[in-house]
Amino acid sequence: MNVTCKDRDRIFEDGTAAEWAALEGHAANCASCAEGLRSWKSLSLAAAQLRDYMDSPALWPRIHQALTEQAPAIQAGRERWSWRSVFRNLSLSWQTAAATAFVAVLMISAGWLLRPNKPPVLQGSFLKSKALTEVEHAESAYVQAIDKLAADAKPQLDNPAIPLMGNYREKLLVLDSAIDDLHVQTGQNPSNAHLRYELLAMYQEKQRTLEEILEEKR
Amino acid sequence: MGIMGLALAWETRIPALAQRERRVEPFRGHVAAPDAAEAGRAKDTVLAAACQSGDLRAYERLYSLHGARMKNLARNILGSSTDAEDAVQETFLKVQRGIASFRGQSSFVTWTFRILVNTCYDVRRSRLRKKEVAADDEQHRDDAAPRSEPRAPVAHPSLRLALERALAKLTRHQRDVFLLYEVEGFRHAEISSMLEISQAASKNTLFQAKKNLRRMLEPPGGSYAAGAR
Repeated sequence: MNVTCKDRDRIFEDGTAAEWAALEGHAANCASCAEGLRSWKSLSLAAAQLRDYMDSPALWPRIHQALTEQAPAIQAGRERWSWRSVFRNLSLSWQTAAATAFVAVLMISAGWLLRPNKPPVLQGSFLKSKALTEVEHAESAYVQAIDKLAADAKPQLDNPAIPLMGNYREKLLVLDSAIDDLHVQTGQNPSNAHLRYELLAMYQEKQRTLEEILEEKR
Repeated sequence: MGIMGLALAWETRIPALAQRERRVEPFRGHVAAPDAAEAGRAKDTVLAAACQSGDLRAYERLYSLHGARMKNLARNILGSSTDAEDAVQETFLKVQRGIASFRGQSSFVTWTFRILVNTCYDVRRSRLRKKEVAADDEQHRDDAAPRSEPRAPVAHPSLRLALERALAKLTRHQRDVFLLYEVEGFRHAEISSMLEISQAASKNTLFQAKKNLRRMLEPPGGSYAAGAR
């Protein structure tokens, strides 16, 4: 490898082993480079004058004392922030996953809280299958009881001598018509609790009407 | 400047140095055998883990391995043994406080020396703040220069003094890189990690530092200065 005086500084800065060897070879025939090389290396040798590794017997006991005094505060701090250190000790991928999950939970919560208000008709108005069965059983028993009540009231209703009964008949016809409509609707949407409540209200009204008719009879 | 009598060429004036084994620069990065380097890394990891567990004996081990070098570096930056000892103590306390955040991106020793260098400059700044504001720039320069203190006897005290004064005139980075590489024997890879610069920047900074030091230490019209450029 051939080097010239121009290469000297570059080799001083970042020369390879081969380049240094070549520079040494070049310096054998070049007084300027020989002097430059010698003064450059002399700086490294002179740096040894700045090495003073004398023992300081008092230093370690002093440091040990300071470390001992500081240790409880650090321990307390670690316990206080242990959740943070748990997060820090996770690998980058787990940290990313945890952060993503946190953001997702945050967005879902925000979406839930900020969702548009739906009409009250739909809020909690769907019955589960088990609840629906229980409602249908109760309704069937209720209808049978009302039918018995209607059978008791029938003679009174059919008595033309009492004009008030005509009004009751009309009212019962309206209620039965409404009950039939609601039956059709609940047949199409059996889990709709709101329709069931309306149906119950109609039955309750029919029950009260029949009870009034029976009261009249007494 | 007061260092005229120290004119290069060094080797003719410092025979003891000339007889020593020379460190040929390009080989320095390859001195450690792969097995030795691996063993060193393993020891470093074990030491870091022990310190993380809060074992004070691990800190004592760190001190026994590197305390003298830490103090020497601190003294060369601060120019005072007392300040150097304070800086080393503060470094150990910072290591204890920050060890939980050490993730092993660099070696533990490199990380410790990075803290030391930063601590030294904190001490230096605080020392300067405490001093009365000097009236003129000359006074400022004297304040920044290391204070001369009794040190271990060396073969060439006047050379050491000249080097100390010349080092004080370098930029912070040039001084740090020179001290870490030439005095403490760290490799450019380690220095780049300590000072958070690239290896190329470390090499270039060392080159500039040595060029400046040579210029400051050589007599005007010295043989190399006259011959070169």
